[in-house]
Amino acid sequence: MLLEVRRLAIAYGDAPAVWDATLEVDAGEVVSVIGPNGAGKSTLVNTIAGLHRARSGELRFAGLDLGAVAPHLVCRHGIALVPEGRRLFARMSVEENLDIGCYRGEARRARRETLDRVYHLFPILSERRRQAAGSLSGGQQQMAAIGRALMARPRLLLLDEPSLGLAPAVVDHMFEIIRAIHAEGVTILLVEQNVVRALEIADRAYVLEEGRVVAGGAPAVLREQTRIQEAYLGLRDGGGPS
Amino acid sequence: MPSLTLLGQSVVSGLLAGGLYALLALGLSLSWGLLRLVNLSHFALALLGAYLTYQLGHAFHLAPWLAAGLIVPAFFALGVVLHVVFARFRVTEFTSLLVTFGLAVILESLIQWFWTADYRRYETPWASASIRVGPLFVPTLELLACLTAATLAVATWAWLRFTYVGKALRAAAEDPAMAGAFGVNHRAHAFVLSGISAAYAGVAGAFIALISTLAPAQIWAWLGTVFAVVIIGGLGNPVGALLAGFLIGVSESVTMAVAAPAWAPLVSFSILIGLLVLRPERV
Amino acid sequence: MRQAIGLLAAGLILAMLPLVGLPAFYESFLYLVFHWVALATSWSLLSGYAGYFSFGHGAFFGAGMYTVATLTAGLGAPFLAALPVAAVVATLLSLGIGAVVFRVKRLRGELFGLLTLAITFVLATIVLNTRLDGGPGVYLSNVPLPRLVASPTGTFYLLALGLAVLTLAAAYTITSSRLGLGLFAIHDDEDVAEVEGVPTFAYKLVAFALSAGIAGVAGGIHAMYVSYLTVPDTFSITVPLYVVLMSVLGGARHWLGPAVGAALITASLYAFTGGQQAILGRAVVAFVLILIVLLLPEGLVPAVLRRARGQRGRAADVAVAPILAAAGARTEAPATLDCRDVWRAFGGIQALRGVSLSVAPGEIVALVGPNGSGKTTLINVISGHHAADRGRVELGAATLTGRPAHEIAGLGVSRTYQIPRPFAHFSALDNVALAATFGSARCAPAEARAEARAWLEFTGLGRRAAALPHELNLHERKFLELARALAGRPRVILLDEVLSGLNPGEIASAVHLIRQIRERGVAILFVEHLMRAVLELSDRVVVLNEGEVIAAGGPREAMRAARVIEVYLGKAHVA
Repeated sequence: MLLEVRRLAIAYGDAPAVWDATLEVDAGEVVSVIGPNGAGKSTLVNTIAGLHRARSGELRFAGLDLGAVAPHLVCRHGIALVPEGRRLFARMSVEENLDIGCYRGEARRARRETLDRVYHLFPILSERRRQAAGSLSGGQQQMAAIGRALMARPRLLLLDEPSLGLAPAVVDHMFEIIRAIHAEGVTILLVEQNVVRALEIADRAYVLEEGRVVAGGAPAVLREQTRIQEAYLGLRDGGGPS
Repeated sequence: MPSLTLLGQSVVSGLLAGGLYALLALGLSLSWGLLRLVNLSHFALALLGAYLTYQLGHAFHLAPWLAAGLIVPAFFALGVVLHVVFARFRVTEFTSLLVTFGLAVILESLIQWFWTADYRRYETPWASASIRVGPLFVPTLELLACLTAATLAVATWAWLRFTYVGKALRAAAEDPAMAGAFGVNHRAHAFVLSGISAAYAGVAGAFIALISTLAPAQIWAWLGTVFAVVIIGGLGNPVGALLAGFLIGVSESVTMAVAAPAWAPLVSFSILIGLLVLRPERV
Repeated sequence: MRQAIGLLAAGLILAMLPLVGLPAFYESFLYLVFHWVALATSWSLLSGYAGYFSFGHGAFFGAGMYTVATLTAGLGAPFLAALPVAAVVATLLSLGIGAVVFRVKRLRGELFGLLTLAITFVLATIVLNTRLDGGPGVYLSNVPLPRLVASPTGTFYLLALGLAVLTLAAAYTITSSRLGLGLFAIHDDEDVAEVEGVPTFAYKLVAFALSAGIAGVAGGIHAMYVSYLTVPDTFSITVPLYVVLMSVLGGARHWLGPAVGAALITASLYAFTGGQQAILGRAVVAFVLILIVLLLPEGLVPAVLRRARGQRGRAADVAVAPILAAAGARTEAPATLDCRDVWRAFGGIQALRGVSLSVAPGEIVALVGPNGSGKTTLINVISGHHAADRGRVELGAATLTGRPAHEIAGLGVSRTYQIPRPFAHFSALDNVALAATFGSARCAPAEARAEARAWLEFTGLGRRAAALPHELNLHERKFLELARALAGRPRVILLDEVLSGLNPGEIASAVHLIRQIRERGVAILFVEHLMRAVLELSDRVVVLNEGEVIAAGGPREAMRAARVIEVYLGKAHVA
């Protein structure tokens, strides 16, 4: 198992965001985490990436206890994050953002090669390489954020709401790219509000609701479960009023 | 209206004075822009560097560049220690202003204790040397200070722009958590930057010793002008600080030539006030 | 009250001293103490209470000095007639600066400090280059000094004493008044203060004017005391440095703090007299400043008081009896909230595109929609934090759009924040009392505290009245937000995700509370992601997507609308 999350609880200060999350990701999989706003999805991936500390529970990556790793060293073990809202370094150029991606260790030595790969995947970034990241359009910023994470040559890519705020055509493109990245052998943990998209691309998926993982399994099974409708729309049954 | 030569001469001396402002502004701009710490004691450190250069030359006949060779690394260490304190007490942008204010007063007192409030002048053979360009005189030492400022500004700019550590510092200034997620240990870099900032104060000090007459209260005389330079140049932007230094220097010296010397501070402070009121988002 | 009488008595006793023949040396020393007490206390009126740290107190002090010098030495006016003019000049100067600077939101903290410092230097340059000084300095030695008592030092002593007592009285009055409460709230969170109904701009201006006026008088007296002024001495860094130091040392947020700091520092500087020792004294004072800032950031007086109170604290807690005061039962006349075609853009992003909705008294309307759909923006527009680009928001007969936030609060709109934003230095009780003072309730301070107590009981926080926000857990802070919103006696209450982060038991009690609020005839608009609560609570649901209302109606019908399912789940689910 590449990533194992057991009974994880996370809090901001004393505000709990995740109560009880258990999930696993196997090497080579695409796993989606779906759930309504405020369910704790972002908190979960940010914690895996080392941005927050868990309050309790277990977090293992390739057998290693991530709870014992300094935040800035998490990436060295092969985890890279594409955060919600991109969080690019807006005043730095596109290429400088990519350089931060390969800041650590081996990734830095492989910079030239990875950079070519990223520019091949996103030709527009190559055109805009000297432009300030903050001046890119939303879709281009999302590409830059994915590119930055790829520069770290991750084994596990954490994608947080890659479709947020993008036009439908751009969302289509984004998911094509995610497929392409996966085809290159990168394991993906995807957090997404767009349930249809998230289930389409995933090998397996989990439903996170109010800080708890309440369901998990194959997309086809989850799709039929009323649990999702309940979580998103508050409707207890698929059809008539309850 | 003053003659063309006089005007030309005042532009030259303005550029040279601006170089010195920029030299003082560099370290301040770096720590404010990239560490979000406003270091008022920067001026006091520079003056301490000047007095030390003076003392080493005066008492031990140590050449100023050798003195600088001792002072600059020592100041680097001092800057690191300063940041250890700031990090330990989690000093914020605002409290840094108060703490370094206190530190500046302590340093001023220290200077006055050892060297008294009397004016000190470091007499060197180069003090009055100058290069003649057409009808204009360019004092050698001030030119050297100006060139040093330009070199340091460009080198710092290149360092921030082209090295991994420089990029990491800029990234961490924008979003420390995200930079951390990619392996940037910004706490460690902050010590280096604080050291560099203090080392620049040492460099500025060496030139101040050679160029101007020293008095402890000098610390406060620079304060307003150099802050104007830092803010006009853009926080954390070394080349911006250099250009802003030239702008302020020239506008001051032209004001001196056209109006009266005592009106000069009005220009820089008016620019500063205008910028703060009209474009506060730049800071 | 006891403190006010104590202050008056101390003033009277000290005023007697020159009559019994105090040695001139002590009179001079005490003159300096009072001089600094007045300056430091006046500085803290704006900078300490409201947190707008000024490094420009020297400008007003200097304006006072040169006003007196110009009027007396230059124009032959009598000294005592020149003093009020000094106050007026300094006040006008501050009003001019404040009217411009207080409109720029970013000019807080260190930027305000730098700006005021720069203004000092500009003023100094102007004085230096005009006939006010011109360079050589101004002598006042020929200006006749009115004799209040036999000796000149006694006269200065009495003048400074009078000013110090008046300043302290002003500080005391302000800290226990509506103005002081508002200034403290500005210090902690200016935006929230404005939304709670504090007229922040006017309050800052008043505090700045008072602060500058007193500094002007202190400068005027000091001009006569030193009898020879030069620009470098007058506008030097000394005044701003020392007032900051004294206030921070004593405690800038307490009315007596700066005075205690001033006395301590003046005395310790006096102790180190003569060349080398004076230098050492300065260094020691600066070192103490650093220690205080790092280790005791609130200052000496509040720290000592806290320790003293800590020992009596238990008794005070018991006094918070669970009485549901009748005050809480009153509510303003109900009114309907109406948003008509509201538009708002940020840069290129159109956050609201013609949103219309209304909430009737006693009605609960839920506002739902995906992230970034404009829910919080709408709340911000209604509460006046953002202006609408187009459209109108009305409450009963009153138009809300175009009004500053504090007026909107006064008309009966309160809100909560998704992430609670209590005033950090206010106890739970004071947080709520502030809303009762400035919201549409407009209570007098004492009444406001009774009212606040009632609302704390209502929300189940009665036992936590004395706690500071950081001592409360999230659920308590969320309920504190609710109590604060209720204490303004609103006609409309806007709840921004009050339930997020609460556990099921806490959610149940919050739902119960919200129902009780509705019983009072308050119109409730609430943003919520927790769909179970939305269905349970709301009479109607309005669904926003990309700044537009895409569905509205009964909760189940609205959530089942095809567009809504599409927005939430994607296209496939519609079929």
